Amino acid sequence: MVANGNRDGRQGEALVLKGVDPETCMIVFKNHWAQVVKILEKHDPLRSNTSSNMASAVQNYVEHILFLLMEEDAGQAGAMGPILEFVVMENVMERLFLWSLRRQFTDDMKLEQLKMYEMIVGQARQPLLHHKPVLRPLMMLLSSCSGTAGPEVEAELVSLLNQLCCVLAKDQSVLELFFHTSEDQGAANFLIFSLLIPFIHREGLVGQQARDALLLIMSLSAENQRVAQHIAENTYFCPVLATGLSGLYSSLPTKLEVPGEEWHCLHREDWLQMPTLVQFLNSLEFCNAVIQVAHPNIRDQLVSYIYNGFLVPVLAPALHKPTLEEVMTTTAYLDLFVRSVSEPVLLQTFLSFILLHRHENVHILDTLVSRINTPFQLGTVSLALFQTLIGLYCEDVMLQLILRYLIPCNHMMLSQRRVVKERDFYSVSAAKILALTPSCCSPEHSPPPLRQLDSILWSKGTDNKTEETFLEEDGSGYSCVIGSEIYLDVNYLHYLYNARLGISSCTRACQVWSAPYDGEDPPPEEYQPSALEEAGARGRQAQKVNPKRSHPHPRPRPPCPPQTTDPAPTNQLELEWDDSYDAGPVVSPEAATAESSKPPQLPAAEPPKHIQEMRRTAIMLVKGSYIEESDFQDDVMVYDLVAKKDARDTVDRRRPSRETLPESEESEIDSEFNLEEDHFKESSLQEKDEVPLSNGLSLPLHPTNMEVNSSEVTKGSKEVKAHVADHNSNLQSPLAEVGDDLMGQYEELIRTLGSDEAGTGGSSPVKTVDKEFRNPVVTPMEEDEVDFSSFSMDTPELEKQHSSLFGTKLCSGSTRSHSVPFTGPFVSVLLSRLENMLDNSLHVNLLLTGILAQLAAYPQPLLQSFLLNTNMVFQPSVRSLYQVLASLKNQIEQQASTKKDFPKLITSAQHCLLARESSLKGQDTNSGDSRECSPLEAGRMMKSSPPPQPKTISLARTEVFATVLFTEFLKELAAIAQEHSILSHVPMEE
Amino acid sequence: MNLNPFWSMSTNTGRKRSDGEEQSGEQQQQRASPARPSFGKKQLPSIPKNAVPITKPASPAATAQLANGTHASYGPFYLEYSLLAEFTLVIKQKLPGIYVQPSYKSALMWFGVIFIRHGLYQDGVFKFTVYIPDNYPDGECPRVVFDIPVFHPLVDPVSGELDVRRAFTKWSSVPHGPFLQLDNDTALRNHNHIWQVLMYARTVFYKINTMEPLNPEAAVLYDKDVQLFKSKVIDSVKLCNSHLFDQPKMDDPYAISFSSWNPAIHDEAKERMFSHKRRPEDHHKGLQVSGLSWVKPGSTQPFSKDDNPPLS
Repeated sequence: MVANGNRDGRQGEALVLKGVDPETCMIVFKNHWAQVVKILEKHDPLRSNTSSNMASAVQNYVEHILFLLMEEDAGQAGAMGPILEFVVMENVMERLFLWSLRRQFTDDMKLEQLKMYEMIVGQARQPLLHHKPVLRPLMMLLSSCSGTAGPEVEAELVSLLNQLCCVLAKDQSVLELFFHTSEDQGAANFLIFSLLIPFIHREGLVGQQARDALLLIMSLSAENQRVAQHIAENTYFCPVLATGLSGLYSSLPTKLEVPGEEWHCLHREDWLQMPTLVQFLNSLEFCNAVIQVAHPNIRDQLVSYIYNGFLVPVLAPALHKPTLEEVMTTTAYLDLFVRSVSEPVLLQTFLSFILLHRHENVHILDTLVSRINTPFQLGTVSLALFQTLIGLYCEDVMLQLILRYLIPCNHMMLSQRRVVKERDFYSVSAAKILALTPSCCSPEHSPPPLRQLDSILWSKGTDNKTEETFLEEDGSGYSCVIGSEIYLDVNYLHYLYNARLGISSCTRACQVWSAPYDGEDPPPEEYQPSALEEAGARGRQAQKVNPKRSHPHPRPRPPCPPQTTDPAPTNQLELEWDDSYDAGPVVSPEAATAESSKPPQLPAAEPPKHIQEMRRTAIMLVKGSYIEESDFQDDVMVYDLVAKKDARDTVDRRRPSRETLPESEESEIDSEFNLEEDHFKESSLQEKDEVPLSNGLSLPLHPTNMEVNSSEVTKGSKEVKAHVADHNSNLQSPLAEVGDDLMGQYEELIRTLGSDEAGTGGSSPVKTVDKEFRNPVVTPMEEDEVDFSSFSMDTPELEKQHSSLFGTKLCSGSTRSHSVPFTGPFVSVLLSRLENMLDNSLHVNLLLTGILAQLAAYPQPLLQSFLLNTNMVFQPSVRSLYQVLASLKNQIEQQASTKKDFPKLITSAQHCLLARESSLKGQDTNSGDSRECSPLEAGRMMKSSPPPQPKTISLARTEVFATVLFTEFLKELAAIAQEHSILSHVPMEE
Repeated sequence: MNLNPFWSMSTNTGRKRSDGEEQSGEQQQQRASPARPSFGKKQLPSIPKNAVPITKPASPAATAQLANGTHASYGPFYLEYSLLAEFTLVIKQKLPGIYVQPSYKSALMWFGVIFIRHGLYQDGVFKFTVYIPDNYPDGECPRVVFDIPVFHPLVDPVSGELDVRRAFTKWSSVPHGPFLQLDNDTALRNHNHIWQVLMYARTVFYKINTMEPLNPEAAVLYDKDVQLFKSKVIDSVKLCNSHLFDQPKMDDPYAISFSSWNPAIHDEAKERMFSHKRRPEDHHKGLQVSGLSWVKPGSTQPFSKDDNPPLS
């Protein structure tokens, strides 16, 4: 065998040996070795100082020897080549290693040895590691390097380990030897693996090489039970990996420097600039990869360590840090992590943390949902997180967020259940949604560039010669002809197209779901509250005094029999006032300063920004859920309420919850305000600051609520009805005397009906409610005409009170969802924020409408009917998307009628948004990043380069942008509704 | 039967705008693939300059929508989607022996063929066209016209039109009529649907009704001289079948046309038809399923599946 010719590809040393026959090589090898041996024997480093001359001479010879070894081909039938045989017989490698060991075993020496092995392992033409005389000194070398060493040695070590792993991956027979050799050493088994572990989280090339090497072993473990078992049982691989995440997490900045108000999630560009975050993501990505390839034992262990070693002890507290910025930052991290993880098992770990873990007795999910309501950036970031979650098409997420509230079908009138699966044949819902288009935005009113209308003549199939010739000319031969008669909103076609894409991909994704959620499966009957709360009925009776107390369960459990959770009334209040509004402690000091520096009564003009923010904070603090800003007319009152809240918080801690003032009382007070304020709202929107509101601060307990017998209840219901009628017909009617305990009675009524029902055990409570409440508030929209008076200013107030009562605030503390129709905190919060659309900034609205459109694209009939079916008749306490949209339309029309320049502003805003759109498009083509978070860049771009349009418009004119967006959102929803009507019910073709 | 041809037509408007400049050579291919080119959201293609406006009376459908308080600009979309929904419903019903296909040029005209498998009209293959009024669904009941007037009491011997209106006196209103009992789908409760018309067109050949006939001769014969009626029917069936391979009456790419058996073309198709089994699992195997679920069927608890790795 000649080591040449076909090896021409190899350069360097190989060329030296070209044409040299193996015999000559052997002779040269032996010669060199003899020289080395001579030096080794003469100069025992322990006895005499080895001169550097000698050392370099040895080095020289060794290099030659190794070249010869590397270049030697295997003998026939896999036998050793003569040089290798000699190396094995003479124990060449071990003697060399021992010699350098007996000299001062410096980093340089280690480096030398490591390089030597790296070279022969990597380049030898015959397997060397199978031979113990080669392997053993290598293992000794490796274990001698396991201690502290300089960075150069580490780099070399990892590089060699990586190489060894590559060999292992290619040739598993070596694996056994690795185990055996280490046993000889008495060292831990599988040394190469253990040596790699410390480098898992290392940054830079070393870390990357180590992780690559480990991944090779991981994929090995999938096939090799022994390796898997060893790693899982005898190494600290999984704990190191998981706790490493915790370590890396702790070095992340606790507060992000947010680029701007519109910022809401961490993009690639963002995190690439943060080395610590890059490092964390690398490790997370590594975990993801390990989980993907490793043996199930390792996978399960790792997942468990990540959950118990990172998510629960580190991330959960981080989500509950004391300051708003920290919490926001953590939320943004969590969102990024969820987006970065791709392996289902790991994703499941994160999701079950989010959905099921309870931190200090509050579910993380509830906390996150309630934070959507924060008007600060935390709210926006939380929205972005939910956008990510909903985009996963994960049944578990959707179940927890929305579906479980819809399964019992209690949110709709009983008669409507059979309508759930119905499809909208004649685009009735789409038409109704589009009919909400504000008059100022109707397509006919827009100037040409914005109009996006092309006149397209719809061919009716009636044969028309002209048309045909035209079609042929055009070459495309389509049935749709350009004409001048019918205006088609071409932009709507794009919405239809996107809707189709969205629905089909969602439908495809949802095929892995366990149930269709169509109002029949899961069967609503099995998840009825009456069945679940039989036991709670007696308790309810006793708790009648306090409406709040009727819901003893700490949290709306997924509606599943039997209810095993202990009623825990004592901590209920705590739960309700979960610490999700961390804003409190941070802002309160500011509040104090603000108060001292400002005159208590502000002029009617727009209050300064920080005051506005304070207001919002106060709103949050007091309500625990969103209430319109206008409900708070006076800054003094706001400050007082903050103080009250603080005071009450401390009191509440000590006081038994039974005596505690329930939030509903406050709501009542608020509703009282609202009712009174209606007059003012009517007369002038500007005057609200002057309304005296000191009465609101007394926060009295309403004894009227406490004992309500059945006759009173009926009376109450009549009052409610009369009341609503009053409102609809005449806004000026004096309502204070009824409004006083209106909410309480209303609520009581519903509840009593429910409990009566439970007592008789007859037909379901829904039926009764159905009968009683045919339509006090919601006009069933059977008719084509939409009765907008039913959405007038005050009626939604009533609705809103309810939704806030049953909404966010209760999310963590009650089973109200069972006795009173409730569509869940998430929907409630989303709709609340949507209702405030005119005051939201553009990016918040983009997120909100994006999420709602995402939800609407889900094919589950329960969701679809709830969000898109405008004919559905819901329970009075349930607020529908359509209702909110209708009230928004009303608000917009009002704005438009009061502001003269509104149409002009609309036009400017449209231009601005169009410019934004096109600049976005440009950016999209540049960056391959197709993630949904485009509004961020858009916002940036808008600020940096204002569109070159006739008149620029400040983004602060939220109501104008919201109006434009609202109009577009209607189209988006209508398009989704239309596509559903033809897509969802047909088995997927193709 | 699949939805695609219809869909591709329905999406024309979008395609047309963006593909206006495309060469006609690609026409065939475009037609075959229903997928629209992916254009950016809200980005408008320019209107082709050569698009000469054609004057045509405004669509009653649009005006009808206007009356409903909706923007006229969306009227055509509502119509289009209503018809699409109707068509998907027809597919879903799997009407025995009936095949329909909307025309290439208009969603309001559907071509159909009906195969009669037993009874007096056994072996009859009747081509027909469904004309849907353009103010659908507010207008009257769709018309069904047979290409060749079949000898039948309810079929006009001259125009070939079937008397559909008698079964759907009030189209699209409260539930009524002879097909209520077929109502096995909740979706069908409140309105009449085109599939019901098709179903009716089939039924008349199995259950002869002679009341108020459009073809009095046929009616009288059926009542008075069934034998003669039968022989006339046989003649009529023969006549229809002899014209089966004629060119379609309507010059439309989607008109239904028959040709004699050509092994080169049909054998393969036949084989595929017989071997094809709908197995949804296989169907989507190739596609990467992006959805997630750890919910155990029958449970509404998240992460209730048994194969979940333990987290603690």
